[in-house]
Amino acid sequence: MIFFIKNTHHQNSHADFHFERSREAASQKTMKRVQGDIKVIMFFVLLLFSSCLRLDDNFYNLEDKITEYKLDNYTGEQDFILDNSYHIADSLIHHFTLSSKGSQDNNATTIHAIYIGSISKIQTDTVIMYCHGNKWHMDFYWQRAKLLAHTSGKNKYGVLMIDYRGYGLSEGKPTEDGLYADVDAALQWLKLKGLTNNRLMIYGFSMGSAPACELTNKPRSMAPSKLILEAPFASADVMANDASGLNMPGSFFSNLKIDNAEEIKTISQPFCWIHGTNDNFLNINTHGEVVFKNYHGIYQEAHRISGADHGEIPAKMGFTNYVNTLSIFIRK
Amino acid sequence: MSVRAKSRTLHSHLDYARCDRKFFIYLIFFLGILLQNCAPTRFVKPLAKNQNAISANLGGPLIHFGKAVTPIPFTSLMYGRGITNSTTAFASVHTTALLFGNFQTDLGVCQRLYKHDSLKFGITINPALNMIYDKWNKNFRAWPQLDVNIYKDILKDKAFVYIGLTNWFELSSKKAHNEVQKNHALINPHIGMTYNTKKWGYTLECKFLQMNKKNIPNIVDYVGIQQRGAIGIYLNFTRRF
Repeated sequence: MIFFIKNTHHQNSHADFHFERSREAASQKTMKRVQGDIKVIMFFVLLLFSSCLRLDDNFYNLEDKITEYKLDNYTGEQDFILDNSYHIADSLIHHFTLSSKGSQDNNATTIHAIYIGSISKIQTDTVIMYCHGNKWHMDFYWQRAKLLAHTSGKNKYGVLMIDYRGYGLSEGKPTEDGLYADVDAALQWLKLKGLTNNRLMIYGFSMGSAPACELTNKPRSMAPSKLILEAPFASADVMANDASGLNMPGSFFSNLKIDNAEEIKTISQPFCWIHGTNDNFLNINTHGEVVFKNYHGIYQEAHRISGADHGEIPAKMGFTNYVNTLSIFIRK
Repeated sequence: MSVRAKSRTLHSHLDYARCDRKFFIYLIFFLGILLQNCAPTRFVKPLAKNQNAISANLGGPLIHFGKAVTPIPFTSLMYGRGITNSTTAFASVHTTALLFGNFQTDLGVCQRLYKHDSLKFGITINPALNMIYDKWNKNFRAWPQLDVNIYKDILKDKAFVYIGLTNWFELSSKKAHNEVQKNHALINPHIGMTYNTKKWGYTLECKFLQMNKKNIPNIVDYVGIQQRGAIGIYLNFTRRF
């Protein structure tokens, strides 16, 4: 009997032991699962906060590399090529470098610039600061700069064009702050040569609309007296909206702060906007019209060029008509 | 304008647009090209009660990339659990989005509405909520989604084919710069096939994304149909346990 009781007791304690062990095992299993879940969550949280992939760098199209500026002898792709009547005398083409240092730069960056016109006349001439688009280099935009040099007559106005850092032969890597610093470096040079604000026109094409708007809205070395935007983009938000069809913010893919549609709201200088109705790159309705609508300054004019795509405006307008349009606006 | 200039303009125009787009594709593609279309339908058929599944998805809208056509390689991971035999809950993490500092998830259920045993077909819906939060500017967006599918078992129940609609809804009345948001429903028809082994499921799905939207002018060079929307190709690998 005692043995039986002992045995029963032994059996009970054995069962308890097994029960305890299985409870412990289950609890350990749960703990392991929870730990596993925490690890997975931590992995995703770490991935989120350690991730730094952004698409900003790809905003800048540096695909075509050059070793020298060829200007009229450049045989690469261009939007159009002007005939000989638009020839600029060599004595009026000045290629030089500038030193550009932005607020976030530790060192100055050497950038290349081309001035069309007589440098000695900058103290009396009107000058167009031409801010080119996101593609390639000054050789690609040379024909456009030459065309601008015919506004109101051959070499009536000076035209200054630069390659932003990372573009063409300019040193460094393009950044949004760099765009502004580089254009400002060009404006500093103009100021040094005697240009005054009332004779400074700023012209932004495509991506160039960003420094043109920024430096008109928040002037640094000089305050442009008039603003011309050709095929401007509105903002990264509009790009995201257009691409997704949803109200998706640009910050989901880019840290670019460029926001011409907001910047234009506080610009008071006279404003001329030109945009192609067939712009398959920056939609006239979602980009250009928004920028134009948001302008509340003293004077604005719009030129919606029927059938023109992104790079086609001067050709579709006709070169004479194009320069006349600019001439009338600048002289107003 | 000289004849030479005209001809050059025409030729260069196409190259110009294509080349710039190529770069902008990178800029936009990740989220711009339809974050809403970075995954196939989560569940066409519900899991059995208490059954679990994890799956990995790969694929996205087709774009012109240089001279080639390629799907954008979106990826996501999903976990699902059968609540009942006709209801499955699921949650996902979009891994490509994560790499760019955006936490994107969709939470939802797959509900079987109808099943015909002898004809071996059924109808299911997947109501879900898609949410994205970016760590950079702390922007948050949410879009409701409703997928509707009709499936038909084939190959002695080892596989099924399905057709359906993936619908996203934009509830905001405004878009960037306070412009009016005109698109409130993005309807994407899809067709797909799933092949199941004992533990694994393999799905190939093809979507016609944003069929109600013209794809030009736009900065992304989508492959669409008659200049509308974009075609998307998706692969899905599911492990059930």
